[in-house]
Order: sequence, then structure tokens, then C-alpha cells
Amino acid sequence: MAVTHPHARTAIVRTEAPLKRWFLRHPGAMRGLVIALLLLIWEFAARFLLDSDFISPPSVVLMSLGTLFATPGVPKALGLALYEIAIGFALAAVIGAGIGLAVGLSRFAHRSFMPIILLLYGLPQVTILPIFVLLFGIGAASKIAFGVSHGMFPIMISVAAGVQKINPVLRTSARSMGASRAQILYHVIFPHAVPSFFTGLRLGMTGVLLGVLLAELYVSTAGIGFFTSLFTQNLEPTRLIGLVAMLAVIAVVLNEIVRRAELHYGRWRA
Amino acid sequence: MNSREPLAIRIASRGVQAFFLLGLLLVWFVATNVWHISTILLPNPLNVWQQLIDVVRSGEFVGDLRITLTEFASAFTIAVALGVTVGYSISRSRYLIKVFEPLFSAIYAIPIILFLPLYVMIWGLGPPSKIALGATIGFFPIVLNTISGFGSVDRTLTSAARSMGASDMQMFWHVLLPAALPIVLAGLRMGFTVALLSVIGSETIAALAGLGHRIVNLAENMEMARMFAYIVFVVAIVAVLNVALTMIEAYARWQ
Amino acid sequence: MTAAEAAIRICDVSHQFGEIGQARHVQALKDTSLDIARGELHCLIGPSGCGKSTLLSVIGGLTKPTTGSVTVSGKPVRGPMPHDIAYVFQESALFPWNTVLENIVLGMKFQGVPKAKRRDRARRALEAVGLEAFAQHFPGQLSGGMRQRAALARALSLETDILLMDEPFGALDEQTRMVLGEDLSVLLSRSHKTIVFVTHSLGEAVFLADRVAVFSARPGTIKQIIAVDEPHPRKPSFMTALKFHALRDQLYGLLHDEIRKSIAETAPLRRRYDDTAEKNEGVA
Repeated sequence: MAVTHPHARTAIVRTEAPLKRWFLRHPGAMRGLVIALLLLIWEFAARFLLDSDFISPPSVVLMSLGTLFATPGVPKALGLALYEIAIGFALAAVIGAGIGLAVGLSRFAHRSFMPIILLLYGLPQVTILPIFVLLFGIGAASKIAFGVSHGMFPIMISVAAGVQKINPVLRTSARSMGASRAQILYHVIFPHAVPSFFTGLRLGMTGVLLGVLLAELYVSTAGIGFFTSLFTQNLEPTRLIGLVAMLAVIAVVLNEIVRRAELHYGRWRA
Repeated sequence: MNSREPLAIRIASRGVQAFFLLGLLLVWFVATNVWHISTILLPNPLNVWQQLIDVVRSGEFVGDLRITLTEFASAFTIAVALGVTVGYSISRSRYLIKVFEPLFSAIYAIPIILFLPLYVMIWGLGPPSKIALGATIGFFPIVLNTISGFGSVDRTLTSAARSMGASDMQMFWHVLLPAALPIVLAGLRMGFTVALLSVIGSETIAALAGLGHRIVNLAENMEMARMFAYIVFVVAIVAVLNVALTMIEAYARWQ
Repeated sequence: MTAAEAAIRICDVSHQFGEIGQARHVQALKDTSLDIARGELHCLIGPSGCGKSTLLSVIGGLTKPTTGSVTVSGKPVRGPMPHDIAYVFQESALFPWNTVLENIVLGMKFQGVPKAKRRDRARRALEAVGLEAFAQHFPGQLSGGMRQRAALARALSLETDILLMDEPFGALDEQTRMVLGEDLSVLLSRSHKTIVFVTHSLGEAVFLADRVAVFSARPGTIKQIIAVDEPHPRKPSFMTALKFHALRDQLYGLLHDEIRKSIAETAPLRRRYDDTAEKNEGVA
């Protein structure tokens, strides 16, 4: 076997080895390549294989982002969704941290109310989406409320766990050095709960995004939901994909911000 | 101190829970019967109960339930088949894990419900778009947990098995699978939940039939009591499915 | 020993966890009395669960004994006494979200040291344990040995007469704990603190202690007290001295039966595994 084509083999090895080794050392670059390849397949399929009434190639979507933003009402709808996410996130953080602390600080409260919180968190909230809209109307209020109801539970649960799961030796040692109750709360319990709070914020952000966007899509007479229904009915895949992509980008950016914050404030845990 | 948990405290915390839930029911009852809050906002609990009995007795729910469950079963099956095979294949190489794991977790963090309008455009308002969405959303937790389950098997275990002469098949059945199973099962459970919720959710947003769609219809017709009855019904169905899953899981572990 | 000489007097201390009759009931300590002299390093050694750590936390006022009493410098112990007693715990009790320096400063804040004095005292404590260069590090960035040095610095900065150390080097490897033991001996010879030191290690007890209290198995009580007559600071060469080995053997003799008693649940490995059995069967 070694005799057959020794030259051909070494030639291939010589040209391919450095590139292959470079990719082996940079998995991120390979990931980029995979994404590019998927986009290319999408581009090819959309141009030559699939019905252009239902799907557009990514290049066309990208080039037509301008016309998407020129569509009257779209920038406003996107801005409103962003506003709802921001307000919903802030409310979920405040309510979640408040209740989480209250439940976490007392063993009895934790025992009593944690099962109820977990029960409520486990309920399929999508089923009550229509109630939110009936109660709060089709405007921003119902979307914010639905976002808060999705986002506050993970924050609550994380904060309560962060307060509860503190290593007892840290409390004991603070006590041995003469720390008062307030000092233990401020210097031991709060800082210990900070990383859990940020973990909760990350999960909460996912929840708020889900809640707000679910409600936005559900209400088809205003906001994002109006445009997704409009583009779907008019068979405008280009603008629909563009709008969805914009929202996905917003979601990715917001997720990334809270993830960075979590890494930053959780450094000491490593 | 901490290790001592007197019985009294345990009973007291149960009492608080019961009190809280009963209190909630009581407030609901008082609000509708004494304060006379508009039934458009909040229906009478007794009325809801009658409607629920009617929904169950009349068998009206059967068609919607069948559609929702079929959609969910198809979606979950696709998600499991794809998630487990893709996840296992990737987990066999540290390099592939590094390439694909961050990609999957990044996509998983996006609210995939956003794809629903696209899916509706491609597959229409019927079940296929719900199945596609449920499968997409269910795929990610399953694939991620399969990767982490099979990818993080303790090297000491695999080395020990190799040193005792285990074949590849034996390695899979006696070392990799038992070590990875708890994490993979946790992924399946998560996939189960999110696929079910996204099927119901997408029925709520855009559909022709199904339990989610039924709830929306009743809301639009302002039949609040019946809508509440259906919500209770769906919550019960989800709970039953979860209990069934827990039993299957326990059985699988025991096996 | 008269009351004036004793830094710590322990009188008939008993402690039990849980109520009698409960499944979790454990009699940890039984009728223990002990006087610890000023400036001595007193080791408590015994099998696992004999209550030596419980006794330490009773002295520190962190655990209220079921019966009996402890007086420290003539004052009865009723709770933590941060001005008299500093504590070093087995695992790192440094606050992981604070740097080493912040940890030390925070300890003094808890104790009530005026703000102006804290930084300076923290610096001196860090110098004493050789960690000046690591003041700005987080505990997570330090090795186990360095973390315990930092914990010791925090305890030293409180400038108490008494230092309680609960297996402070227990989680460290043999070499690290030997070096830390030597350093502690040097530090002790300079500071004249009273130290109560709980340990599992026979060698550590002999190397560090002026006296060693040997505990019986649960319910723990003091079986015997052994004096180690060797001035501080102790040199590494002490570890190879005949006296060291004689004392170590004496301790082991005292502890051996107690350790067997405390692990009685585990069956002894008496029968050797016989890999000739199969062949013999074939013959029969």
C-alpha cells in the first residue's frame, strides 16, 4: 500500500495540514464556517429550489432591510417592543429580587412559599395569555405584564436559592468576629446572593423576551403581531424574515449583555 | 438548629400553603359573589366549575385534545430523534463539541417562538407549523443535554473500563450510557415541557384548531367561564402528562 | 492551675445534638473539664466525631453547651467574644467575593476596630504570614495553603489573646501542612498567644503542642493529657528526634483503641482475598 502513490499522499498532507491544524486550534472559526455554509445552503435553496412566495434568500433579506425600516409603523413597533422588554425586565428584576429575598431569608417562609412559587412557575402560562390581553388591553401594558409574569419567577427562585445556599461557615466566622445581624446581611448574605441574582437575571431575560414576544405575536391588531400577520397574508417573506431577524438580533444582544454581567459579577465563584 | 426540624414547623408550613391556596379561592369567590366584579373580567368560580363539568361530560374537548396531543407527540418525537442522534454524534469529539455547543446554546437563548410567523408562512395555519415549532424548540435542550451527558463522562471511568478490556459496545452500554443517562433524561424532560408549551402557545397565536385555539376563541367570544374551564382543563392535561413522564422516567431509571 | 493562670477554664461541659430518644440524637461531649494556660498551644486530638470540634466551638461561644460552663480570662462565655477570641476554621472561611485585604479589613470592622487603624493592622498581619504580595487577590485565586495563611492573618489582625484553630490545615497536603506548622510555631514564639488547636494528625499535634489532650471515642471526654516539653520555635529537625517519635507512638497507642471503637460499624479486613480458592475447588 505504501508503494502505490507515495507522492500524491505526501502532497495532500503538505498542503492540507497547516490549514487543518489552524482550524483544529480555532473551533470558533470552524463555527463561523459552519454558519456560513448553512447560510449558503439557505441562499441556494431559496434561489433555485423553493417557492419564492414563501421564502427569500438571506442576501435579499439583508439588502431589503432598508425597505423594512421604511415600512410605516415598523420602526415604531420595534421600538415599542424594546421598551416593553426593558420595562418588563426592570419590573421582573425588582419583584423577583424582592420576593426572592423575603422568601430566602427565613427558613419558614422558604419552606412554606417555595412550593407555591414552584407550582405557579410550573403552570403553563401561555394558556392565560388571552386573559392578560382582556385585562390589560392590546397596548404595551398587557405585553409588559406577560413579560413580567414569565421573567420574575426564575429571578425569585435564583435569589432565594442564593440566600439559602450560603456556606454556614461564612456566617459562623462572621459571627465569631463579632458581626451584627445587619452586618451579616450586608457583608455576607447580600454579596453571596449577587451571582445568583445575575444568574436569575439571565434566565429572567429569556423569560421576559418570551413573554413579551408571545404577547406581541398574539395581538395581531397592533405592534409586531400586526406586521407579522400582514407580511404573512401578503406573502412577503423578505420583510417577514427581516423583521423576525431584527427581533432575534435584539434578543441575542440583550441576552449577551446579561450573560456578560453574570460572568462579571460571578467572578469570585470560579 | 438547622438539623432539627420539629414536626410542628413542618405542619405549620403545610398549613400556610393550604391557607394561601384556599385564601386565593376564597378571594375569587368573594370577589365575584359579594363584590360583584364584572364577570367579563372574572367569572364566578361555581360557574367555571359547571362549565368544566359540561366540557368533560359533553366530550367537546376530544377533537381539540386529539389535535394538540398529535401535534405534540409528532413534535417531541422529531425533537428526540434529531436531538439525541445529533447530540451523540457531536459528543464523540471534543472538537465538534467546541464547534457546535456554543452555537446551539446561543440559538437556544433566542425566543424561538419568533420563528412561528415564518413557519406559518411556509406550512400554513394547520398542525405542520405547530409540529415544526415544537420540534425546533424541543430540539435544543435535548441536543445540549445529550452533548453534555455523553461529553462529560468521567475519564477515570472510561480508562478503567478500557483497562479491563471493554469493547466499544460494552463501553457504550455499561459505561457511557449509565453515566450520561441522568443528564440526557433531564434534557428530554426539558424538551418535553418546552415542546408541549410551544405547541399550545403557537395554537394560541395562529391556528385553526387545538386546545390553545379553543381558549382564544372563547376569549374572543367573551365566554369567560367556559374559557376558564378550558384553562383549568389544559393545566390538568399538562399536569397529567408530566406525572406520566415522571413515571416513565422512574421506570427507565429502575431498568 | 489556679484561675488566674488559666486563660480558658472548661468545667464539666457536656453537649448533645437532638433530643434523647430522637433518631438524630448524638451525645457528642461528656463531662469534659480542662484548664488551658496562658500562652500555651493546646492540641485536641481524637477519633472522628469525638466532639473535639464541638468543644472548640463551645469555647468560642458559637455553640451553647447542654450543660457545663466555660470561662475565658475570667469571664463566662455566653456568645462570641470577638475581643478575646479569634477563630480559624477548617475550610476556608474567607469571603470569596472580597480580596484578601478586604477580608482582613472586614473582620476588624466586625470586631469594631476604628477605620483609621484597619489598613495598617491588615498590612502587618499579611506580613506576619508572608502574603503581602497577595493582598489584592481573591481567595479563589490562591492555593489551599495560601488561603489558610490568609485566614490566619485575618485572625491575627483581630489581636486577641486567644486563637482557636479547628483543623486549620486539615484539607491541605502533607508537605504544605508541615511548612505551615513550622511557620505557626515561629509565629507563636513571638506572639505569646493562647492557642487551642484541633487536629487529626498525630505528627502535627506533637510538633506544635505544648500539651495534647487525647479524646475518647463518642461520647467524647478527655482520656489523657500529654505534655510536649520542647521550646518554640520548633525546628524541622525536631520531627526526626527520638523524643518526637516516642511521643507520637504514645499518642498512637492511646488513640488506637478509640479509633477502632469509633469505626466499629466497618468490618475489619481480616480475611485476605484468596485467589487460590478457584484452583483448589478444581482439585477437589
